[in-house]
Amino acid sequence: MLNYIIRRLVNMTVLIVIVSFVGFFIIQLPPGSILDVQLTKIRERGGDISREQVAALRVRYGIDDPFTVRYWKWITRSLQGDFGTSYETDQSVGERIWNRLGFSVGLSTFALLFTWLVSIPIGVYSATHRYTVPDYIITAVQFVGLAIPGFLLALVLLIIATNLNAIEVGKLFSDEYVDAPWSFAKLVDLGRHVYIAVIVLAVGATAGLTRIMRANLLDVLNMQYIQTARAKGLDEAVVIWKHAVRNAIQPLVMALGSLLPALIVGETLVATVLSIPTIGPMYLTALRIQDMYLAGTILVILSFLLLIGNLIGDLLLAWVDPRVRYE
Amino acid sequence: MTNSHTATSQDDVVRVEDLKVSFYTDLGVVRALNGVSFNIPRGKVLGVVGESGCGKSITGLSIMQLVHSAGRNEGGRILFREFADGESINILDYERNSAEMRGIRGNNISMIFQEPMSSLNPCYTVGNQIEEAILLHQTQDAVEASKRAIDILTKVGMPNPARIASSYPHELSGGMRQRAMIAMALSCTPTLLIADEPTTALDVTTEANILELMRKMQEDIGTSIMFITHNMGVVAQICDEVAVMYLGRIVERASVDDIFYEPKHPYTIALLQSIPRLGRSKGRLASIEGSVPDPYSRVSGCPFHPRCPVAISGVCDSVVPEETVVDAAKGHTVRCHLYT
Amino acid sequence: MSADATNLPTTKAAVEDVGQIPQWQLMVRRFRRSRLSVIGLYFLIVLYVLMIFSDFLAPYDHNKLDSNYAWAPPSKVAIVDGQLVTFKLKQTLDEVRFEWFYTADETQPLPIKFFVKGYEYRFLGIIPMDIHLFGVEEGYQINIIGADKDGKDVFSRLLKGSQISLTLGFIGVLISVVIGSVVGTASGYFGGAIDNLIQRLIELLRSFPDVPLFLALAAALPPGVKVEVRFFLITLIIALIQWTGLAREVRGKVLSYRNSDYTAAAVAAGASHWHIITRHLLPNAMSHIVVVGTLAIPGAIGSETALSFLGLGILPPAVSWGVMLRDAQTVEAITSYPWMLLPVAVLIVTVFCFYLLGDGIRDAVDPYA
Repeated sequence: MLNYIIRRLVNMTVLIVIVSFVGFFIIQLPPGSILDVQLTKIRERGGDISREQVAALRVRYGIDDPFTVRYWKWITRSLQGDFGTSYETDQSVGERIWNRLGFSVGLSTFALLFTWLVSIPIGVYSATHRYTVPDYIITAVQFVGLAIPGFLLALVLLIIATNLNAIEVGKLFSDEYVDAPWSFAKLVDLGRHVYIAVIVLAVGATAGLTRIMRANLLDVLNMQYIQTARAKGLDEAVVIWKHAVRNAIQPLVMALGSLLPALIVGETLVATVLSIPTIGPMYLTALRIQDMYLAGTILVILSFLLLIGNLIGDLLLAWVDPRVRYE
Repeated sequence: MTNSHTATSQDDVVRVEDLKVSFYTDLGVVRALNGVSFNIPRGKVLGVVGESGCGKSITGLSIMQLVHSAGRNEGGRILFREFADGESINILDYERNSAEMRGIRGNNISMIFQEPMSSLNPCYTVGNQIEEAILLHQTQDAVEASKRAIDILTKVGMPNPARIASSYPHELSGGMRQRAMIAMALSCTPTLLIADEPTTALDVTTEANILELMRKMQEDIGTSIMFITHNMGVVAQICDEVAVMYLGRIVERASVDDIFYEPKHPYTIALLQSIPRLGRSKGRLASIEGSVPDPYSRVSGCPFHPRCPVAISGVCDSVVPEETVVDAAKGHTVRCHLYT
Repeated sequence: MSADATNLPTTKAAVEDVGQIPQWQLMVRRFRRSRLSVIGLYFLIVLYVLMIFSDFLAPYDHNKLDSNYAWAPPSKVAIVDGQLVTFKLKQTLDEVRFEWFYTADETQPLPIKFFVKGYEYRFLGIIPMDIHLFGVEEGYQINIIGADKDGKDVFSRLLKGSQISLTLGFIGVLISVVIGSVVGTASGYFGGAIDNLIQRLIELLRSFPDVPLFLALAAALPPGVKVEVRFFLITLIIALIQWTGLAREVRGKVLSYRNSDYTAAAVAAGASHWHIITRHLLPNAMSHIVVVGTLAIPGAIGSETALSFLGLGILPPAVSWGVMLRDAQTVEAITSYPWMLLPVAVLIVTVFCFYLLGDGIRDAVDPYA
């Protein structure tokens, strides 16, 4: 088991290095250098820059350095927690990201828990009652859940909530709680502001997972060991929940790794519609205005989260399925 | 009628009478069992032999009431008598998932399957899976259950029972897994063990070991066995009596000696001729003409007549032969127009 | 005679011999059984037919502006003097809310004409035509669904948008299916170093969260290119991100078939790699590939919409459903001009139908599911 974890960790480290490299490559992709963006901005403000100043800026941004040198500068600074300076606000990238990332992760984790708690029982029910009316209804609802784009659902719920005066748009906290220390009341207040986002995020993921759960369970129910379990005289409920679900749940565990970052990302559109200040809208803005240091850093951080998620998924899988441990 | 086959008044563990099971699929109705009747004498090993798709496994599963839910029971009785002096109960009177039925499964009647690789749950240790049955039917005490599990593992000849109990199925070989399955099936000392091709997936050496083990366990515990197989060689090794099945019917029923030395039904004869024998390798090995008919269609008359070398035209293709007693003393019966 | 004998006789002719039916016909039969999927298929056929005839069906060019028709509601249609007509619009200022609103002027009917000359287009991209199914007198507009903030006809835009929205995701998946199948087969069949290399590459690509990677690549596209080029590039991005999943699935399948006895038999018979792959492995994996592909289409369509919605995908003046949704982002727009949400409805129907279709195919090709 320890061996397995170490192997996974080494693998992950290597991947992170390569990912950061590719991530930086993408940062450099957009046409026009960082300098052009900066110059345009200064000119827009009405400023005029001399040739010497331009040359100084070139050195500062390392425009003339080869790719590897620029990468090295970026990555060493990033490792020291200095992710460069956003062109847009001249504010430290690191600071801006951490503020929002926390909320994104929190929101997504919450949605994830919700998803799991809902989709497993529904998937089991759907599989064990295949081709019955409830199964058809569940299937139909799932498809609707999958087919409705999250941001539209967000919009509709937002309209309903606004009409009912049930939500304050555009922030995470009411004014009186913004600077207050964490307390239960503050948490409730946060919930009041983000519940639509949680619902929207959970609906799509739940629909998908329920579907997977149903399909897996149907596969597993055809396995010989299910018949063995029945032949022992076990109650059908025990057969399903002890013997079948434990085996059917593995892909769900594996999906856990990718689901967390997927939720963080899925929240991009939803948060844009709901004007919730999380990492998603920030990433989008950065891309739109070609603030590539910010965008690239977020991309690498998200990849990092994905890898961590995968690692957690793998470890959980090893815990659930004894076969994995000995591979 | 059809249940007159055993003239000897012996004690049967299970008596199946005119069992009919059909499957309703998208492509049509499959009549898997067309009135199967046979008995399993107490303390004996009954071999049920036939080609793939003849209904052997469905018969076994029917006794456990574990036929896939698409299969419908369309008549017949399955009488089970736990003790020689006890009352018979009709298993089909119980609901599939009723407490009574579950009380029988694994406790009075247990079953082992063909694929040792997939018949154990990969997520639980072998010990855990054996204890599960013991805890269900025998004792509530977990410590006692685990002790009994190791006991039974010792009995089935596991070299290191305590270690095996804490192993996962994927850590064991096919033969070991089948031993574990047998241990699980026998953990509650059942009256009847249904073994559905338990050695088909194993190599010959392992097969011999497992058969020997089953024979030994059968003698030790006194369990009756219904041994489903397509292999006549295996039948010769383990069975006391044999029922030959063809297309959802028992076509011949006799003692193992009679089946091999006095076969009556043309199908049984053909089956025996298709076994390769050492020292007699002159010419091609005989095979049965044609193949098993499409399961969705029905054959009129004797189901074997399209492939039968001695079919009587005008009779075999229109009238279903009834069960005929060939030798009442030995309980030898056959369903063939040649003997009516 | 026993009871059995009277029950059993059934002529063989009355029963179909199922064993004789080819595999694909059995699949069609099983597919037909899931009615929802059949309905989905029919809906998709209708949508794609509408898309092919979209220029003919659309009364106006998708970018034709008319400030007199800004936010015009759906046109009222009536029969006056035995003729199908709509009405000219009267603009009035709501003095309380300070907003223009429109009423149909029932005294001024506008006859709806059929097969009228309108803007020029190329049918199927080849045949130049200028005939449209319907229209009204020059200078006026009929907006059967309504108009957007610039007075562009939403119905015409919806039709035109389908040309991108219904094809981009589809082609993207098609490309990814080809890449995924080829790479997956190569990886699974040849194994060894090739497999290792491909698997590492896939692992690397999958280390990036797909949507952010998607957004980053889209943002890196050169801004000033022609619509067709941008369409093509976005298709490529979709394919680039989607093929990895498919390649993994195909590899898994190929690997299991590779180790099967019939492959061993083919190898023993001296069959070439090409023969084994094309005659034994791919046909077996094909049903699986089709299912995964079909189920990937709705995601790809959704991706295009999301990208365009965010302003990183298809850009105006080109129009796709995602582009149209940009106008439906705010609560105000939707409550005042609900017809702006129609692209969403069409999009949901499309995606829904593809899911149903894929689900039906999966059930049809897998007899045990």
